[in-house]
Amino acid sequence: MAEIATLWRPRGAWDLYAQIGRHGRRDGPAGLIVAPREGLALASITAADGAGDGLAEAIRARFGLSLPEPGAALFSGETGLVWSGPDQWLALAPARGDLDGLGAALQNLAAVADQSDGRAVLRLSGPDARRVLEKGVSVDLHPRAFAAGRTAVTAVAHIGVQLWQRDDRPTYELAVARSFAGSLWSWLEEAAAEFGCEVRASA
Amino acid sequence: MRIRCPYCGERDNGEFSYLGDAAPVRPDGMDASSEAMHDYVYLRDNRAGEIRELWYHAAGCRSWLVVTRDTRTHAITDVQPAREVAKTRRAETRLAETRTVTPAGSASHA
Repeated sequence: MAEIATLWRPRGAWDLYAQIGRHGRRDGPAGLIVAPREGLALASITAADGAGDGLAEAIRARFGLSLPEPGAALFSGETGLVWSGPDQWLALAPARGDLDGLGAALQNLAAVADQSDGRAVLRLSGPDARRVLEKGVSVDLHPRAFAAGRTAVTAVAHIGVQLWQRDDRPTYELAVARSFAGSLWSWLEEAAAEFGCEVRASA
Repeated sequence: MRIRCPYCGERDNGEFSYLGDAAPVRPDGMDASSEAMHDYVYLRDNRAGEIRELWYHAAGCRSWLVVTRDTRTHAITDVQPAREVAKTRRAETRLAETRTVTPAGSASHA
């Protein structure tokens, strides 16, 4: 079956879409910097009924972080927990395998499902990052309403997305179901064209 | 129209889908009369005024919500997670059942 083995190659979620280089407006510095985040470890965590403090303790032991309140995202370096619904969180870590054993560690406290191949994540920065996002989301991203450490589950161009803000420059990260990466990219490329968009290698 | 989701904050109503009146409670289909089931499945009031209704935050936190809305003005006065409403209703039902089965006179010893 060697001939089949040659057909299957791992491919990043954004490989077909986010081509490295400059897109949209050519003059001046790029308003939006896009860095695909390939190779992350992602897992969804859904609390068991009545898990309460036990889950919070197990999470603290594993990540050194508390469970984020609704609308909050907590990071320690590149590892983090992002609230994604009542009693639900998305765990992120920089490399595949980093979240191995999480299901066992949270046994009877939460349901854990690997999302590493299920979600595609982009990092968005640059002087116009907020203005680009504001064209797509109906969430107020102004600093008075949304800041580093905040997250929103919402939709862009009818595509369900989860976004969170990493720092005050501002830098955002956007997660989308992997099969929607192409559709989201066609929106993002169009929305960013007026500001100029630079795609960099995976962060 | 915007709905203030108790988890996500104020969001455009395009993020939500609508089910309808939150008042009907499903009867026990094995015990209930066909009239009671017909009433539960099909019959709805069409009030001009305040109504409690179920909305689903599909493009957000995926929670069912009980929204109190005035059908004449679309003014929304209250939004609660449906699961909290259901928990409260279950607790009240249990309490009512406990009261029914408590023998007369024993309440003073509680």
